[in-house]
Parts: sequence; C-alpha cells; structure tokens
Amino acid sequence: MIDIRRRTTYFFLLVSLGHVLLISAQVQSKSGMPLIEHVAFAAFAGVQRGAAAVTGGLGSLWNRYVALHGVVSENVALRAEITRLEGRLQEEQALASQARSLEAMLRLQTSVPQHTLAARVIAGDPAPDSLTITIDRGSLDGIRADLGVIATGGIVGRVMGEPLPHAARVQLLIGRGAAAGALLERANAFGVVAGGGGDPPLHMQYVPNSYDVKVGDRVLTSGQDGVFPPGFAIGEVVKVERGSTMHKLIAIRPAANFSRLEMVLVLLDAPHGAGTGGGQ
Amino acid sequence: MKSAAVVAVIAVAVALQMTLARFTVGGRWVFDLVLVAVVFVALRWGPTAGAVGGTIGGLLQDALGGTTVGVGGLAKTIVGFAAGVIGSQFIVTRPVPRMLLVAGATVAARVVVLALRGLIDLSWPEVSWTGMLTETALNALVAFLVFQGAESVPAMIRRRPLQRASFRTRRW
Repeated sequence: MIDIRRRTTYFFLLVSLGHVLLISAQVQSKSGMPLIEHVAFAAFAGVQRGAAAVTGGLGSLWNRYVALHGVVSENVALRAEITRLEGRLQEEQALASQARSLEAMLRLQTSVPQHTLAARVIAGDPAPDSLTITIDRGSLDGIRADLGVIATGGIVGRVMGEPLPHAARVQLLIGRGAAAGALLERANAFGVVAGGGGDPPLHMQYVPNSYDVKVGDRVLTSGQDGVFPPGFAIGEVVKVERGSTMHKLIAIRPAANFSRLEMVLVLLDAPHGAGTGGGQ
Repeated sequence: MKSAAVVAVIAVAVALQMTLARFTVGGRWVFDLVLVAVVFVALRWGPTAGAVGGTIGGLLQDALGGTTVGVGGLAKTIVGFAAGVIGSQFIVTRPVPRMLLVAGATVAARVVVLALRGLIDLSWPEVSWTGMLTETALNALVAFLVFQGAESVPAMIRRRPLQRASFRTRRW
C-alpha cells in the first residue's frame, strides 16, 4: 500500500507533468488551446456581464445620490471648459477646412470616416500578467477577430480570437506579444510599437540610429499593420537611447489611460489586410 | 464535498479577480486573488487540495488571458502544493506568517512564470520590479483580510444563538 504522503507527491508530479506536456503541445504547434479557451471564456463572460451590471449599478448609485457634494463648483468649471473647447473646436474646424482644400488641390484621396461601435469593459485581467479585457459587444454586434480598439487618448488593442455573440476579448497593446505599426510624427520614421509589461510598457522597434528622435515626440499608428488606420495616437517618447545594433531603443508612454478603461470604441472598418499583424 | 469547496473557492476568486481588475487594468495596483485563494485552499485542506486548486485556477487564468495554457497552471500547482506542505509541517495560523507565505508564494509563482516564458521564447522577459513588489504587498494584504474573514465570520455566526439565549436568561 502506498503511503499517503508519497501518493500526494506522485499526484503532484503527475499534474506537473501534465502541465509540461500541455505547454509543449502548444509550443510545437504554435497555436493555443481553442477549445479550453473558448469554453472558459464562454463560461465566465456571462458571470462578468452580471458582475459588471451589479458594480455599475452600485457605482451609479454612489455617483448620483451619495457623492454629490462639490457638483455646483464642478458645473461652473465644466461650463468654462465647454466655452474654451467650443472656441478650440472652431479653430480646429477652420484648420480642417483648410486641410481639405489643400488635399483637394493636391488630388489626394480623402480619408474614409471610421465606423465605430462603443463597448463597455465588463472584465479585466484574469491574471496580473495577461493584460486583456472583456467587452460587452460580440459577433452579433458586428465584432470580428483582429478589429482595432481605441479609447479616449489613443489606441488600446485589438479583438483577440473569435468573439462570443455578446462578448469579446481585447488584447491590450501594453501586453506581452502585442504590437502595432507606428510612425514617429516629427522624424517621419516608421517602426513597430510593442508591449512588454515593463515601465513604461511600450517600446518602439526598428527605428534606425540615424534618425533624429527626441523625448516628447508623438507616436502615431502607421496603418501598415492591417488593424489600425493611420493617424491614431499611440503615445509619446519618454526615453531614447542609441542601440548596440543598428536600431534605437525607444521607450513610449501610452496615450490611452489603460488603468481607467471603462468605455472603448471598436473600429468596425478594418483596413485592408486585417489580421495580418498587430498582435501575437 | 472538499473538491466542490475547492472548485467553488477558485471559481469565486477568478470571477472576483476579473471584476476588480477591470478598474486597474494595466495600472500600478496589480493583485492576484486566485493565488491568494490557492494558498487559502492549500492551508485549509492540504497539499493535494492546493495542487488541485492551483491547477484549476492557473488553467482558467491562462485560458481567459489568452496566454500559453499551462504556464500559469504549472506555477500555481507548484505554489499550491508547496503551501500545503508548509502548512502541514509548520504552524501557520497567525496572520503574519500567513501573509509572509502568500508574499513568498507570489514571488515564487512569478519567478516560475518568467522562467517558463523565458524557456518558451528563448529570451528572458522584461520584468517590472515595481509591479512585482506591489503585487506581493497587495496579495499579502488581501490574504490577511481573507484569512481573518474566513475565521471570524463563522465564529460570529456560531456566537449569535448563544447571545440570544443569554439575553432570554437574563430577562426571565
């Protein structure tokens, strides 16, 4: 008869071996475990919708009825801000109008307006290092794999895998293995911005050492990844070093506030060749 | 009964992790409630339960996060088993040793995950030391609350009928 302690150890070793085989199978085939992932996602998506509704309701109750002190002064400040922004909007409209006439003069193709769909974030990272979110829109709302997702400020990530009818997972750009085609606005240098989980979480790769890149330079999407159209904000350069190879080491602070993601916009018109890049 | 309890604790931890992490996505406040739940299960029901809890919790996290399925699973299985063995060999009943155990488990799980990722990608992944430190501290804090709550709530429920009886005795 096997001693109970030895039996526990055997059980542990067996389970560990199972994990190693599972990992090896995926590394060799270069694909995930679609069935396990789909079943787990489907099982938890419903729970998360309910949990998000409860937390949203409690938050709404707090914001609308309990935390009302300071609303009057906030209103005054917001009115002033609206007035300022209206002025700014008019300036921008004037500039846009000028740009359109210049574009017409140069006979450039006018940009097609993006169709977007607003979605609510209903769940965060299942593990601290996975960096994915779940949104409350799915295949029935027109969501497909590899569509780009943006938020206030800049791009957020892309739809990962096949969505459920009413939920979809989004791989965040700051996560490990995520990437987007990028352009340094001032230097006019193309490259790839990749996530990695460091601090700052984004790095721009493949920018030659010969280019003049400075701290504070804006980084935009280049449109070459087939996920994001060109011109969306990715972030700002916070550190530049000359690399030991022929490329610079560039650290980027994301434009989107990833720690405050409540609502996002899904870009429904994927650029040509969607799915060819932008992620792992 | 024990298996059902282990599964229930881990499922609740995964659901809570995803609900609460929604407010801190990619931020500085990183925590892993599933890891705390695995250590809780291991200390309460032993190394086998810890390994089972770690396997279920880790696999669920891997599958939901879209990462290589099994990496987190193996890390949490090792941590759950080790926490169960420590719990059965040493007296880990006071809050500080429990918090230290969860802190150690956090670092161990993270190191195993990084090592496995390094092996898979053939390059050592970038590590956010601030993030790891925050996660360790937050997990230890959550562990303190969870373990204290798990002990004091049933004790409070047990005391309630006795208080009523003593009130009646005094009145009559």
